[in-house]
Parts: sequence; structure tokens; C-alpha cells
Amino acid sequence: MGDPIMIDAHDIRFSYDGPGGRRSLNGAQLHVSPGEFVAVLGHNGCGKSTLVKHFNALLPLQHGTLTVDGMDAADPANRWALRRKVGMVFQNPDNQFVSTIVGEDVAFGLENYGVPEDEIPARVAAALAAVDMAGYENRATHTLSGGQKQRVALAGVLALSPDILVFDEATAMLDPDGRQEVLRTIHRLHKEQHKTVVMITHYIEEAIGADRVYLIHNGKMIADGTAREMLTQPELLAAAGLTPPMPVQMYYDLKQAGIVLARCPLTLEELAEELCRSQ
Amino acid sequence: MREHLTGQFTPGTSILHRLDARAKFFGFLILIAATVCTDAWPGYALLLAVTAAVVAICGLPLRTALASVARMGWFFLLIFVMNALFFATDDAIWHWWILTLSVPGIVQGAQVTARLALILVMSNVLTCTTPPLEITGAIQTLLSPLRLVRLPVEDIAMILSVAVQFIPTLLEETDTIRKAQIARGARFESRRLHERAQAMLPLIVPIFLSAFKRADELAMAMEARGYRGARGRTRKKSVPLPLSGWGALALCAIVCAAEILL
Repeated sequence: MGDPIMIDAHDIRFSYDGPGGRRSLNGAQLHVSPGEFVAVLGHNGCGKSTLVKHFNALLPLQHGTLTVDGMDAADPANRWALRRKVGMVFQNPDNQFVSTIVGEDVAFGLENYGVPEDEIPARVAAALAAVDMAGYENRATHTLSGGQKQRVALAGVLALSPDILVFDEATAMLDPDGRQEVLRTIHRLHKEQHKTVVMITHYIEEAIGADRVYLIHNGKMIADGTAREMLTQPELLAAAGLTPPMPVQMYYDLKQAGIVLARCPLTLEELAEELCRSQ
Repeated sequence: MREHLTGQFTPGTSILHRLDARAKFFGFLILIAATVCTDAWPGYALLLAVTAAVVAICGLPLRTALASVARMGWFFLLIFVMNALFFATDDAIWHWWILTLSVPGIVQGAQVTARLALILVMSNVLTCTTPPLEITGAIQTLLSPLRLVRLPVEDIAMILSVAVQFIPTLLEETDTIRKAQIARGARFESRRLHERAQAMLPLIVPIFLSAFKRADELAMAMEARGYRGARGRTRKKSVPLPLSGWGALALCAIVCAAEILL
């Protein structure tokens, strides 16, 4: 037996106009191991959101094969089990809330799966604590900041204890502080609760902490590898319609000017380190 | 942080906040019935006193309560004018074509407007003191007999609750789009009616588009969290209505009876 696989997607093709229409996915594939942190990078409209919406059967499989923790996504009988296994946080927190009260909203998923009423408050409290929002049960959602709202949305997903967390551009509408808050929470959940994370984004910096990065373009994966392998190749990123992180760009600019650093830095800290070392 | 919007639930500890949602919802319906039954000034005075009392008890700022009425000002004016001018009577003060202005007509207009304003403020009190999903539960209880004719009661209650919850969001969005259109030369403030009507069109289309987009995203988020209608959903234990709930209902019934007698 090979390595265990949590998500195994092969040759996924999808068109919103039905089979035969203009394709949003053109044979995409993705493999995620249990506990892995995977980032899917691509520009707007490249099909990355469409791909992840197959993982919890929000979109039907039109072509290809997809198994999530051994469950076949093409089988309609698995739909609700998949949605419990794969928690999904979307872009706009305001469009995810079913109730304007934090506690009620977090409980929504639990009620959908028939969790007994007396168990719900404890699970809501635990989910809110996991995203550093303990004690916010009775707060109105409109009094929260963007980052807090998105963490409440994440708590609503966590309450169902999914093994896989999918973030569909979950930081795109947040200010820099809110984005950092949410990213810190995602990384902490990955480390402490060993959640498998699939994060789709077009902010290249968000992929730096990932175990593996997929580059997607026109509904198809064009490359995958470690964050360092993927993000330090400007030509590859350009093919996906992306620009490299600033330290990488700097590395190549310096190289052109005749200053060669020992290795290509990914973060500002690494860049500073390399510059100090080169002197 | 957004300022408090009319009708949005605000957590609190007042008696009304703690009251059972079913009692509040049924009480609200009884008070609407009382308002509709009233046609004498002492009756209006009593209703005004009751409404003022509930507004004071729930801690809803008076400005917020009045703002909701002020926002509907044009609607109230229209209702008043329609009633005042189309009231058929013999002792008209002024008559022209099909329009008849009379004292009973003016009184009628004032009464209808007062009724609507009172109902609006009372509904504000209800939504300000009751969490949305509790209102859903109350609507469900109210509609439960319709289950016998296979009506999807839970779904209807959820639709109503989500719709009410999105009103403030859509109002806010309308304001944003309105400002964007003004920045590009739309004339909402124009005195000419046809210019104002023309300016409304570019406002309505984006609002509808945005509302559909939001509805689509919310539906997807709800499905992703396992929503499939009432099937398999945790049923709230049907606790009997507490004594406070019965007390509140009795008070509402007394007000309603008084209105009928007055």
C-alpha cells in the first residue's frame, strides 16, 4: 500500500453550462495526504473555487474521479458524510451567517446533523474557544470586525469536527490585520488539531507556510511541489498568472545586478539574513 | 463597527429579552389584532402607552424606534393622503373630480397611519429583542398545524427568518450603491419626479443582482454546513410555555379586550 491519501482528485472536468459547455475545470488533479497543508494558487477565474466545491459535493462530479478519505464523491449517498468530513469557509463572512447571533450561528451545523440539544452549548463553546472567540456566544455578528466574523464562520465549521478544512479565498475580503488573525488561526488548527487544510488563494504570500503548493491555470494544474520549489520560480508563477513574492523578485533583481545570494529567500526575514551573510 | 440598524437583534437582559420567543410572537400578533380593532382615540392612547412601555422596557433607543417610522415617511404620507382624499362622505370640505376632502376622511387617514406606525414600532421591538433563530422557532410553532396539509413549515420559517435578517444588510448595500451612483451623477435629490424615477433604475438593478448573489452564496454556505431542510435537524424539546409567557399573553389579551370595548 502507498501513502494514505485524504483527497484524491483525478482528471476533474467541470462546466457550469453542463457537459459540453465552456469548461471551468479542464482535467484538474490534486492529492492531499492526511494532516497536510496544501495551498492552491491561481489568478481569479482559474477554476480553483470550482475544484474545491467538488470535495464536499457542493458541485456534482461531471467527469473524473474523486475520493475523500475513501468516500467516492460521485456517489450521492456520500453527500452528507462528505459535508461533515470537509468543512468549508467562504470568502464573505456576512453571506455565511444564518443567524445574527454568534452562538446561534455556530450551532447551525450541529443542529443540521441532529446533535442532541443539550450537547450543543458545550460544542459551540469549544469551537469558539478554538478560534480565540470564547465568550462571544451572545454577541451580534454585526458588532464584530472582519477577522472576528471570519473566525466565527470558521468556528461554525469546526463545531462539526471535520477532518479537512477548506478555505475558499477566506481572507480575500479582510484588512491586513484581519487576514493575519485568520491565517494564524488556520496554522494553529493545522498544527494543534492536525487538521488537513486546503487553502485556495491568489495571495501568494499565504502559500509560504504550506507543505505543498499547487499552481492552477485555466482549470488545470500546471505544477506542484513544496512552497520553496513553487514560489521561487518566476517563470512558473508567470505561467499561472501570478507574480513572485517580493523577496524572490528581489533575489532575481540582485542576481541580474551581479549580486548572487546563497539561496533564494521566501520571506523578508530570510532575505535580510541572506543579505547580511553575503556581505 | 456598524451603527445599530433598525430591526436588528441587540443582545440584552431586559424582561422582553428573556421572555419566551413564542409568547413574544403570539403577543405581537394579539397586539396587531388590537391595533386593527381600534377606532376610538382612547384606544389609540392606550396602544401608544403600551408601545411606549415596551420600547422603554426593552431598552430600544427612542431615536432608533422613531427612525424606522421616519424612514417610511413617504409611505405613511401616501397612505394618509389616499385615505383623506378618497373617503366617501356627504359633508365634504372640498370636492374636485373624484377627490373629496372631508373631516372624517382626514380622521380616517390619521388613524390608519397611526395604526401602521404602531405596528412598525412593535415589530421592531420584537426583532430587536428576539434572536432570529428563536423567531424561526416561534413561526414554526405557529404554523405547525399546517404540517397536517404537508406544508414545509420548517422551510418556510427558515426562509422568513433569513429574509428578515438580510434586510439591514440590503439597506446598507442600497445606501452604498446610492452613494456610488450619486458620485457618477445620479439625481436622487432632484425635485423633478421623472428625474428621480430615472435615477432609481440604476439603483434597483445592482441591488437585485447583489441580493441574488448573496442568496446564492448563503444557500451554498448553508448546504456546506449540512442544511437539508427539516430532515434530521435537531428538534428543540417542546418545553411548555413558562408562567412569564402566559402572563405576557394574558396582558396582551387584556389590552386587546380593552381595545374592543373602547
